[in-house]
Amino acid sequence: MRISCPHCGERALDEFSYLGDASVTRPDPAAADAADAFYTYAYERRNIAGPTQELWYHQAGCHAWLVVTRDTRTHEISDVKAAQDVALERVNSTTGAA
Amino acid sequence: MSNPATEAALNRSGLTISRRDDVAMTHVALRRGRRADLDARVSATLGLTLPDTSRTVEAAGQMAAWAGPEQWLVIGPQEAGTDPSAALAKALNGVASVVDVSDSRVIFRVRGASAADVLSLSMGIDLHDKAFKPGDVAITHASHLGVMVWRHADGQGYDFACARTYAVDFGHWLEDACSKRGVFA
Ligand SMILES: [Zn+2]
Repeated sequence: MRISCPHCGERALDEFSYLGDASVTRPDPAAADAADAFYTYAYERRNIAGPTQELWYHQAGCHAWLVVTRDTRTHEISDVKAAQDVALERVNSTTGAA
Repeated sequence: MSNPATEAALNRSGLTISRRDDVAMTHVALRRGRRADLDARVSATLGLTLPDTSRTVEAAGQMAAWAGPEQWLVIGPQEAGTDPSAALAKALNGVASVVDVSDSRVIFRVRGASAADVLSLSMGIDLHDKAFKPGDVAITHASHLGVMVWRHADGQGYDFACARTYAVDFGHWLEDACSKRGVFA
């Protein structure tokens, strides 16, 4: 498997380390339902057969966190974005609606 | 040099390996939202324009290499009685985080027309002329060690910055790889 880092170009898998699901958002610890929300955030995962969004770290390269869209059935990677850009998009879409 | 046989093999290879111990290395990381200020101060201090892609730029003996998003490694001569990192920290105060990394890394230089063939034996990146051009820089593995590598402007060699802790190991690998020129590559 090779991953195209948006900063470095295509690199072998051994340059990256895997964290996990990139689709979840850390809940608000001050919310009334925080305990339940954190339980779901930490433990409840869908076992997807198909495209998933995952956090990978370009450990041996530029040290950027990446959001990789990977198909769990074929390992085909259809998209790689800088996690910072994805996070900023999420923040902007939230604040933009307000 | 490790032994006469390796030395002889290196002489035949047409490759030369050296260590650059006379340089000051400074890591520069942008403070959020200060890019325009940083560009202006770097231009005034070093006469350089910091690259946004994996490239190196040079001016008047100073080099800046892209070292990840919004980070650069500035390399210049270390002259007795001067402190280039401290001077840069002063010049960039408030717009970038500036760290003297001269003691944490060692730079090796490999020169010779066949360098890419030899280095390819233990590197994952594509060193082909079309893929890794003069002035390009990459942060990657070489012989399983983390390195920053850039290709010289004339295309005839490469510099490797590796952690000083691994310098002996990395140096041995370079010697070994280059002395086998003609055997494996
Ligand atoms: Zn990268």
